[in-house]
Amino acid sequence: MSALLVGTRKGLFVLTSGDERRDWEVSGPLLKGWEVFHAVPDPRDGSVYAATNSFVYGATVHRSEDRGETWTRAEELGLPEDTGLTLEKTWHVRPGREGEDGRLWLGGAPGVLFRSDDHGRTWETVTSLVGHESRDKWNPGAGGMCCHSIQLDPDDPSRMYVAISAAGTFRTEDGGESWEPANSGVAADFFPDNPFPEVGQCVHKLLVHPARPERLWQQNHCGVYRSDDHGRNWERLEGNGLPSGFGFPIMLDPSDPDTALVIPEEGAENRVTPDSRLGVYRTRDGGQSWELLESGLPEPAWVAVLREASSFDDGGVYFGTQSGSVFASADGGSSWVEAATHLPPILSVEAADWR
Amino acid sequence: MLAAEVGGQRRFEVEADTVGSALRSLPVSNLVFDERGRLRQLVNVYVDGVDVREHDGMDTSLTGGEEIRLVAAIAGG
Repeated sequence: MSALLVGTRKGLFVLTSGDERRDWEVSGPLLKGWEVFHAVPDPRDGSVYAATNSFVYGATVHRSEDRGETWTRAEELGLPEDTGLTLEKTWHVRPGREGEDGRLWLGGAPGVLFRSDDHGRTWETVTSLVGHESRDKWNPGAGGMCCHSIQLDPDDPSRMYVAISAAGTFRTEDGGESWEPANSGVAADFFPDNPFPEVGQCVHKLLVHPARPERLWQQNHCGVYRSDDHGRNWERLEGNGLPSGFGFPIMLDPSDPDTALVIPEEGAENRVTPDSRLGVYRTRDGGQSWELLESGLPEPAWVAVLREASSFDDGGVYFGTQSGSVFASADGGSSWVEAATHLPPILSVEAADWR
Repeated sequence: MLAAEVGGQRRFEVEADTVGSALRSLPVSNLVFDERGRLRQLVNVYVDGVDVREHDGMDTSLTGGEEIRLVAAIAGG
């Protein structure tokens, strides 16, 4: 059975469907009262983790071992006092690799990364990133200074990436002991006096292609980019069919490294889908050209899709809108069905194998 | 929300000398206090109906039998 974990401003919803991904059943909300910034299944043991935030009770992580029937909460999560920082929000949970029993990574604001080795009960600050020498050049984006993307290289256990808005992409090749900025060729147009700084880029979402791990994609505040060398150099890919380089989500096809899908917005000052409709744009040639996909999507429509609110798996691509609709496609984006509607504002969508 | 975090339990009986030590003994203490041990800004604490801010805050003494209530402040929208 296919499932989508849909994090919203008011709890977590679970959408389930058969493998045809056409008819979806909605259940929830779970984690009532919590803003679920991201929820993700752990394929190693079937548990579910959620980055949860409350304006009263703060930022934390929940774990369920029974598909949301019951939850436990992190016991120890916070930043060391000597950092001078306090945890503002939890944003993104990434289960570790197969064989790394109990290991998880957690991104949060202000630009922080945590590691757990006990299934999320306690979290240790990754001090090499919190204390990064370039931190004084980082700035918060509209959503805070969020560490929203954590990507593990599927081949090299020492290599991983994080992306922080607006600090940029950072790569480690020693398991998190040290981090190197990976922003060469990525623009920061909002710094007209230095549009290609070493850090300070506003990455909106970063993905590693699972079948070709040297290939990275990012949707940035200033364009869509692809790297073919582990993020050492980036090529800007907008134009050639994209109405705008501005947007938040990006989706991939696990079987085709040349395919990516984005949902552009009009621009930084008007964050809504352009041309009065909801359109997904797909490239099948590594970003050289883009085609508009709109079959099954509403028009007219003025919507926005947040950075965590898209996902993909072997059989489909998915996204959710701030206006509470989830759309699913079982043919790589060529046609869509509305899998759910009238949910609370959607913060995250994650595909799950729910067998 | 606090009750949901502890399986629906809404009342706890604890032995403590101060309001702060009573709250720190709860299984939801890391929701009531932040990572620096400070009472979260939007959590109000009442002892027998009186806001602890009118007493000594978390240092307010307990002699036994008091009822402490945690109330989320009115905020947001």
